[in-house]
Amino acid sequence: MKRVSIWTGVLALATVLIPLSAAAQNATAPAATAIPRMPDGKADLSGVWEPPFVNDMSKNGKNQQGAGPLPYTEWAKAHLGDPSDSQAHCLPPGYTRALNAPFPIEILQRPDRVVILYENNNIFHVIFTDGRGHAKDLDPLWAGNSIGKWDGDTLEVDTIGFNEKTVLDTRGDPHSDQLHVIEHFRRTDATHIAYDVTIEDPKAYTRPWKNVRTFTLMPNWNLMEFSCEENNKDVTEGHIK
Amino acid sequence: MKFTWAIWAGLALAALPALGHHSFASEFDTTKPITVTGAITKVEWTNPHTWFYVEGKDETGKQTTWSFEGAAPSLLIRRGIIKTTLKVGDSVVIEGFRAKDASTVSSSTFVTFPDGKKLRIGVVGGPSDE
Repeated sequence: MKRVSIWTGVLALATVLIPLSAAAQNATAPAATAIPRMPDGKADLSGVWEPPFVNDMSKNGKNQQGAGPLPYTEWAKAHLGDPSDSQAHCLPPGYTRALNAPFPIEILQRPDRVVILYENNNIFHVIFTDGRGHAKDLDPLWAGNSIGKWDGDTLEVDTIGFNEKTVLDTRGDPHSDQLHVIEHFRRTDATHIAYDVTIEDPKAYTRPWKNVRTFTLMPNWNLMEFSCEENNKDVTEGHIK
Repeated sequence: MKFTWAIWAGLALAALPALGHHSFASEFDTTKPITVTGAITKVEWTNPHTWFYVEGKDETGKQTTWSFEGAAPSLLIRRGIIKTTLKVGDSVVIEGFRAKDASTVSSSTFVTFPDGKKLRIGVVGGPSDE
């Protein structure tokens, strides 16, 4: 009799808590559908996503909130409008600019890593989520070295180890080899990711600044081929330097 | 359909154009729009940009072969524009922005066919300002 009453209590508690839990999720997720989850319980970021095109990380645009006027250092002011443009020459576009482009990305998630495939230039980036720290004695890299950690349903990505051969956005906002990028990816519902990126670079900016975006799931899209060297006549015909 | 294009045209005027691949301002000038009426002589369905060549006259009456840079094939395909949508010999009115160097190179925005069908082929002026 006593055992029955305990189970009755558990059942009663569950009856109260399960709807509360559902209500709490609905409160944070405007869409009616719940967010997909991995077998390990982590939010699943997998899918083909359309990020907004961010030509200028300081300005607002469709599905993105700019940082406002950027706090350039004298070094950055001297490098604004640098004629070098790695992406125009089919070299790697750089970590932030790869995601700024008007092309979709695909996110592949495993328990130990999250991989981003970019249609832009058909490049990829690996974010280790297995608890390792940043690689030691990094050579300066085009896209840096990324480690990620989960905080609830939010993936925080920390990236360092950059060279100075790229710019942050199409407009040409510069960065130095001291660039430290902190990003958050949070799947807010079945079809959206809330994303933010914070730029820390004491050589180029007097304080950190942030850009906020929304990615939209495109379930019927696949990434397509992009071969930059195929016919880059803007450069080969000398339209740009 | 017309309403949709009106919205896009409005956005084209309102938005600061930019190319995904390279800086728009490094090559083109938004204060120098161009409209060419003529026939397509060549289509390059390539990355990082498509290119459309049109033999015809600009608004000043200058006759030559003009080249117009378009969006990457994948971006056009997602808008329903495929390799054979613009064909050699097609009569078109093509719009865009001229190169800063006053050459015959331009960045395209829209192409209009004789039946009035208008397509956004450029990397600028769209809903997300591609």
